[in-house]
Amino acid sequence: MVAHLTRLLGPAHLELAEETVQEAMLRALQTWPYQGVPENAAAWLFRVAHNIAIDAVRRNRTLGQKTDAIVAELFHYASVPPDDPYLEDQLRDDELRMIFMCCHPKIGRDARVALSLKTVGGFGVREIARAFLADDAAIAQRLVRAKRQIREGRLTLDMPRGHELKQRLDSVLEVVYFMFNEGYAAHAGADLIRQDLCLEALRLGRLVAASSIREPRVDALVALMALEAARLPARVDESGDLILLESQDHGRWDQRLIALGFHHFDRSMVGDEISEYHVQAAIAATHARAADSPSRDWPVILELYDQLLALNRSPVVALNRAVAVAKVRGPAEALAAIEPLANDPKLQGYYLLLAVRGHLLLDLGRPAEAAACFRAALECPCSEPERRFLRRKLEVAKGA
Amino acid sequence: MAQFMLLLHSEPSGFMQLSPDEMQKALEKFMAWRNKPITRDGHRLTDDPGKVMRSTGGQIRTTDGPYSETKEILGGYYTIEAADYDDAVRLALDHPTLEYGGTIEVRQVWGT
Repeated sequence: MVAHLTRLLGPAHLELAEETVQEAMLRALQTWPYQGVPENAAAWLFRVAHNIAIDAVRRNRTLGQKTDAIVAELFHYASVPPDDPYLEDQLRDDELRMIFMCCHPKIGRDARVALSLKTVGGFGVREIARAFLADDAAIAQRLVRAKRQIREGRLTLDMPRGHELKQRLDSVLEVVYFMFNEGYAAHAGADLIRQDLCLEALRLGRLVAASSIREPRVDALVALMALEAARLPARVDESGDLILLESQDHGRWDQRLIALGFHHFDRSMVGDEISEYHVQAAIAATHARAADSPSRDWPVILELYDQLLALNRSPVVALNRAVAVAKVRGPAEALAAIEPLANDPKLQGYYLLLAVRGHLLLDLGRPAEAAACFRAALECPCSEPERRFLRRKLEVAKGA
Repeated sequence: MAQFMLLLHSEPSGFMQLSPDEMQKALEKFMAWRNKPITRDGHRLTDDPGKVMRSTGGQIRTTDGPYSETKEILGGYYTIEAADYDDAVRLALDHPTLEYGGTIEVRQVWGT
């Protein structure tokens, strides 16, 4: 709805669009709990928001000569029947344009995610700050700066074309995937906002995939996110403790998301482009295909990691690959594979590198060194369930 | 079953701090509570202090309501069914207004 109103009011008045939606929600919140939900709640909100916007536009002099035209548009939408099929398409299109604007190169990289979450996802400053472990003031400032960039750069909600569209799409996919990873990296048990992030990223990905932009890598990204999100319910036990992939109950994987993932995975096979998203989706698909842990096809997974590493020499990819190396060629080779990563500046203070190393050393019958790794991992920033997991591993190492 | 009135006092501006997403979640909680089978009736009151009328020395005087000095106002009320006060309080324990800084006054309807 913010996206829709922003299109009507103009991107420079994004703030007004946000306040309008806020006000409409507030009215619902004050009324519905007593009087009950009106017959068609969405239509009620939609109409009320447009009426609030009409009042605001009439009061607001900054719109100048455009005022009459904007008011006429708002009036038009305020009276659209709620079951108008065209309206739903229009709203989806408005959201799509909004994400593409939020990922405009004129907007700072770190602000793109926050801005998308705020304007399209309906997240608040506090929630965004919590999700990114940043403080409220920093996020608020980032958003203010982004809105200024929209105004000063005279950004529009027009979809880019041709080469520019391709570039912008990459930025959109990057933002969506970043959002997903932020949600996925820390575990649901600690903070539920994280799962919301994953689901919002998936929703945005699907929105782009359903649009007229036919790019196989969009489907690859959606497939990847759906297949990984399917595992979310199996990742923590009742007490919120982490369960490693190999001990997960595959029965708890979300079958609907797996089906969705495979649907998009198939669609991503069109054409000959192989993006990183493709390879990562293929890895996730291999995991999802296994009926249980022992039947997982590790040699295929390792091959895919080799491919991924060739596309992206990221130390995080190399670390993940090492886990597959351990499964296929044993812990000694895996340990040798992660040795060079110890000095990588990007992985300094990264608990997972130390945890993997500790795990491999334990398998190699070197518990004293493993214990040292888990101890060092506990010094790194990580979530509460991760900390409990590391403490358990430390106990095992000490007892071995 | 006796009937009880739940009088909800809160600051109307309290929700302004929430994001649309949080409002949506709050709304779901409020609606879930309202839809419980114990609820007979509910009404929202307008966001103003209202009026208080009183007769002094044969003269009726009308002043602004009792809430003009505080930010909290009586925002609305529910009628619910409960066995006794303990039961009514227990049923109101999970009313989301408490989570959002509101207070609930519980009163039994006479003769029920």
